[in-house]
Amino acid sequence: MELLVAFVTGLTTGGLSCLAVQGGLLASSLARQVEQDVAGRAARGKRKSQARRDEKTRLAQPILLFLLAKLVAYTILGGLLGALGSVLQLNAVTRAVLLIAIGIFMIGNALRMLNVHPFFRIFAFEPPAFIRRYIRHSAKNDAWTTPLLLGAMTVLIPCGVTQAMMAVALAAGSPLAGAATLFAFTLGTSPVFFAIAYATLSLGARLERYFMRFVAVIVLVLGLVSIENGLNLMGSPVSASRLAQSLFQANRPALAGQVTGPLAPGGPAHRLVLEAHNDGYYPAILYAVAGAPVELAVTTNETYACSRSFVIPSLGVEKILPATGEELIDIPAQPKGTVMRFACSMGMYTGEIIFN
Amino acid sequence: MSEKVTLAIPDMHCANCVMRLESLEDDLPGVVSITASYRSQKMEIEYDPAGVTIDQIMAAVSRLGYHPERR
Repeated sequence: MELLVAFVTGLTTGGLSCLAVQGGLLASSLARQVEQDVAGRAARGKRKSQARRDEKTRLAQPILLFLLAKLVAYTILGGLLGALGSVLQLNAVTRAVLLIAIGIFMIGNALRMLNVHPFFRIFAFEPPAFIRRYIRHSAKNDAWTTPLLLGAMTVLIPCGVTQAMMAVALAAGSPLAGAATLFAFTLGTSPVFFAIAYATLSLGARLERYFMRFVAVIVLVLGLVSIENGLNLMGSPVSASRLAQSLFQANRPALAGQVTGPLAPGGPAHRLVLEAHNDGYYPAILYAVAGAPVELAVTTNETYACSRSFVIPSLGVEKILPATGEELIDIPAQPKGTVMRFACSMGMYTGEIIFN
Repeated sequence: MSEKVTLAIPDMHCANCVMRLESLEDDLPGVVSITASYRSQKMEIEYDPAGVTIDQIMAAVSRLGYHPERR
């Protein structure tokens, strides 16, 4: 699920955003080099149709090498970031803080792209001068390995969306998950990159600005979503989905979960059943009796979404549910009026238990 | 004997502009070095007046789609 999101992000915003930052220089210098190469070979004399066929492969080959190197480099980077995340042992709260920080960073970047105020330029990542010079000189190098080298070096000039994905890889908390996140994302960016580079289009300053605005709006939305998820994961009552939930709750209390077992306060634990589906938790609001311990049974049935990673921030509970099965969580007796919030580990799906 | 000049580039809008502007270092004979900054919207140019004039440099920047202003 998360990988699909990463792939689609790459396919849509990531591809365009990366092109705006990396494509202008790299794709055009690649294309120039290939054009010269093709022209040189054609001049040496070949039948027209044969030359055209060769031209097509010769154009595609270096671009594919470039993208392959980029994919490998980012996958390794994702692995390293994931490893770093696992060393840091991120719990729900630090992940939430990270998500909110990513959100602020993305919104800052979006406002920078929209040129709202010069202040937001502090969110821009500028590689040091010697790295910029090295990349530029490599782009002009005629060696066969140039596309590979250039592709790998794009890790040094990540675009705004890529930087956000790098943070997601860090938050993934394991080398494998981190590598998979950036692999899926970079794979997603490849078709757009290939198409533009193949057409040997280099983005002119005017066209680039148009792309930047489009990307800025998407990044702004992704930033807000990230902050929203962070707030959910912290169990904060002020996130947009929680506010929507309280409205929902006020209007339709009939959707609340059923309490089974003894209802008397102070009695033995009663049981609440929560279903973790691929699109969220059902019911999203559960009612429990205050003053009595609760046994929360979270059930899954072929659930593969992030709802499988279940978090109750206030209890410090973090469970990875089986894809199909049941996980029991013991909740100690709570005073009347307690609202215990739960969420998936990404903060995307939420719900709460109300004790009264 | 080389000279230095700073140009304000108010329409620089991303890190790619920095690299594009700095590529003039290789393309313009007489230019010794260029350091551009997106954050400060400026480019510092070290050049040899015997090889290139400041007007030629400004014209080259304009050809890339920017509006340089001399500081």
